[in-house]
Amino acid sequence: MKRALSAINGNIQLKIGTILIALLVLVALLAPLLATHDPYVLGDELTAPPGAKHLLGTDGLGRDVYSMLVYGARTSLLIGIVAAVISGVIGTLLGGIAGFYRGSVDRTLTEVNNIFLIMPTFFLILLVVAMFGSSMLNVMLIIGLTSWVGNARLMRAQAMSLRERTFVLGAVAIGESKRQILFKHIIPNGIFPIIANTTMNISGAILTEASLSFLGLGDPNVISWGQIVFNGRSYLTSGWWISTFSGLTIVVTVLAFYMIGDGLNRVLSPKLRNNN
Amino acid sequence: MPILEVRNLSVAYTTKNRRIAAVQGVSLEIEERDAVGIVGESGSGKSTLAMAMLRLLPKNGAEVKGEVLLNGTDLLALPEDKLSKLRWKELAVVFQKSMNSLSPVHRIGTQMADVYRLHESSASKKEAKRRIVELLEMVNLPERVYKLYPHELSGGMMQRVAIALSLMHHPRLLILDEATTALDVVTQGQILEEMMELERKLGITRLMITHDMSVVATSCNKVVVMYAGQVVEAGLVKDVLTKPAHPYTQGLLRSIPSFDGEKSNIRGIPGSIPALDVPLAGCAFAERCEFAAASCRTSKPQLAELPDRRQVACHLRGGEIHAQ
Amino acid sequence: MGRYIGKRILTGALTVLAAIVLSFLLIHLAPGDPASILSGMDSPSPEMEEALRVKYGLDQPLLSQLWTYLKNLAQGDLGESISNSRPVAELIAERLGPTLLLSLTTAVLSLLLGTALGIYCARRAGSKLDAAMNGVSYLFDSMPGFWLGMMLILIFASSLKILPTAGMVDLRGGYTGFAHYMDVLKHLVLPGLTLTLISTPYFFRIARSSVIQVMSEDFITTLRATGMSESRIFNKYVFKNAILPTVTVFGITLAYIFTGVAVIEIVFSWPGMGSFMLKAIGNRDYPLLMGIYLILSISVAVCMIVVDVIYAFIDPRIRYS
Repeated sequence: MKRALSAINGNIQLKIGTILIALLVLVALLAPLLATHDPYVLGDELTAPPGAKHLLGTDGLGRDVYSMLVYGARTSLLIGIVAAVISGVIGTLLGGIAGFYRGSVDRTLTEVNNIFLIMPTFFLILLVVAMFGSSMLNVMLIIGLTSWVGNARLMRAQAMSLRERTFVLGAVAIGESKRQILFKHIIPNGIFPIIANTTMNISGAILTEASLSFLGLGDPNVISWGQIVFNGRSYLTSGWWISTFSGLTIVVTVLAFYMIGDGLNRVLSPKLRNNN
Repeated sequence: MPILEVRNLSVAYTTKNRRIAAVQGVSLEIEERDAVGIVGESGSGKSTLAMAMLRLLPKNGAEVKGEVLLNGTDLLALPEDKLSKLRWKELAVVFQKSMNSLSPVHRIGTQMADVYRLHESSASKKEAKRRIVELLEMVNLPERVYKLYPHELSGGMMQRVAIALSLMHHPRLLILDEATTALDVVTQGQILEEMMELERKLGITRLMITHDMSVVATSCNKVVVMYAGQVVEAGLVKDVLTKPAHPYTQGLLRSIPSFDGEKSNIRGIPGSIPALDVPLAGCAFAERCEFAAASCRTSKPQLAELPDRRQVACHLRGGEIHAQ
Repeated sequence: MGRYIGKRILTGALTVLAAIVLSFLLIHLAPGDPASILSGMDSPSPEMEEALRVKYGLDQPLLSQLWTYLKNLAQGDLGESISNSRPVAELIAERLGPTLLLSLTTAVLSLLLGTALGIYCARRAGSKLDAAMNGVSYLFDSMPGFWLGMMLILIFASSLKILPTAGMVDLRGGYTGFAHYMDVLKHLVLPGLTLTLISTPYFFRIARSSVIQVMSEDFITTLRATGMSESRIFNKYVFKNAILPTVTVFGITLAYIFTGVAVIEIVFSWPGMGSFMLKAIGNRDYPLLMGIYLILSISVAVCMIVVDVIYAFIDPRIRYS
């Protein structure tokens, strides 16, 4: 634990990123305490500029922007993290199997990887959400099911190098089954770059979700920052605060996760560290 | 006058909070037409020594102190432009990873011609090609190599290209940094033979950096043994390899199997090199030395002259050669 | 080299096939029966159902339906758009031009800008400028394209009023010839700028890390040892070695740009394919949406193949192997 703290302190990106995310998590958890109004309630003051009563103004339906942003943190964090974790699990499995088993399994999986790399997955996501419904669960699932490409690549490279290591060859000699070796040795030892990459995937997932909401495909029952930006579009000149502040929160959150991911990369892999 | 004289060369790598003393006060002299082998294990500082002499270490992050006199001129004190004029003309180098010693996306001929024009700027394309083909023939490579890309050659062939490249401007001193390490034994033997033949013909002095004692035994006349950034023993190959004075050299030689002679036990040297970021009070080898005495841990032995142009840095040398 | 190109073409073809199969599966797996999905109505009329059944072979086994689907596609038939009552293929063909104009302009600009900046920073790696540029790069990477577009409209179009707020041409201008091109150009600035700003970081990072990587290679040390000047080493040797990975990445980034362009088009009312996406989503016009998806997949696959073929020619390791 102490080492983790000193690692975080030593790297400025990790430091800033962690602080920001910690704040965000707090906001998400304490939303009811931090919000000034009920974000769902349609108030009387429509499109009111930021002021004492409404810290960041109100939108076209009289909802308090600040409170909506606070509650929106929950949505973004939840979707971002769950989608990224799903993509992390899938990527690790597929990449690990491809890199460890090699042969035709590897060739097939790599080809699948290449296909998903090229394919415009955002449209696929769009189609699925449009056709299957835009609940939060659907959104999380489909984003997770389409963004595992980077993780798979990383894990495959790790598996390929790990399988030549002595302790793995030793396990083979002892007679451990391939499946055991994969889960006991290969994956746990190769997981580190995946963790950093998954953190960056959280950013990607949040951006994707924001884009979906902007297109009207977000979950209508929850508050999402992308949705707020979309709502603010008609009021761009008369109520600039609606889209501006909601977008800013997206930028800051995504940036914070990128910084953590980048910082993790620097700390966990010294080769990248030398690029400084 | 010796062709190369290194005086008290020290190299320290400085990172954010550590200072690694990779080379500590190394001095040596190389006469013309010598073939000197610098031996040591990984981390002994021998490669750093070569890079420092060639001024190829990164400017920030490496502190270099001391003098490197090539024919009386201190390479370390020369301004950049004068140094460039000397490079490759007086002093050339062949590195280890030959497969990566030339740009993979340019033809071999193109690169060699580029290097040719560095010192023969007015040469025509024909002239440059003529010289390059001449060099390729010298290392037993066919003319068609001129048009090829590095990935189209084998490791051995690329190594020959690297050697041909180094001989381009008739350097007087050639440094080979682990140049044959990546090759199989047969190719290594061939290349060493060819090298020695070329040296005889062209009058080249060779400085060979290697961890392989057998290479030194077969191709060098003098040897310098390095440990933890310092020179621990130096002398003629025929003397040092038959009657090693320093305990480390003895350990090194004991760890090499021999095909002929009695089956003696191969013994490695237990332990590992000391950390180079902590200044050590006594002898760097004391921890692993079977003869270490109390004074070995407290005072650092200096390199002392012995008869027969031998130098040893050891408190216990006193003229006695320890029995095997 | 032939093998390399062959493999890339195969991957491209498989990608298109995958997109087709996925679309097909979606029609059949989504809630609701295929007829209502294809017609956009919850309970299509009997005549409509019959027409769809004939066209798509909806009462046949799945595999032969897939075959029918493929056959239709091969003939350029992407179905009919529900909200516009016109063949999807026609609609897309009309709008493809502006989308390509915006995407390709952006792709080239961000490639040039990102690569130039990346190379510049790589040579000064570790400096304050480098750190600052890295930060800026991450900043733009974190911005949703649609938000950046809106902010730019706010600043340049609404407040400063120096650039148009929307559209590709000034509908009241009636410009022709050169003036027309200038008009289009004026309208291209903001959407192009938006898309370029969010795509450049990708090229910047690749170029920068590629140059840093190459500069630490052994052959660069060898060239330095020969006394070659730093500038010659960089301009001839580092450059060519470092630029190759950038070319490879161009194809993938193009895919990324094609994805982002649709949303930008919506923000700026740019008359490309993305612009009728919003309406299509609202109307559950799945044939149109799937048509866009397929056309985009094909475009990206084609671009990737072209880029990979170019790469095969310029990298001697592939050309002569």
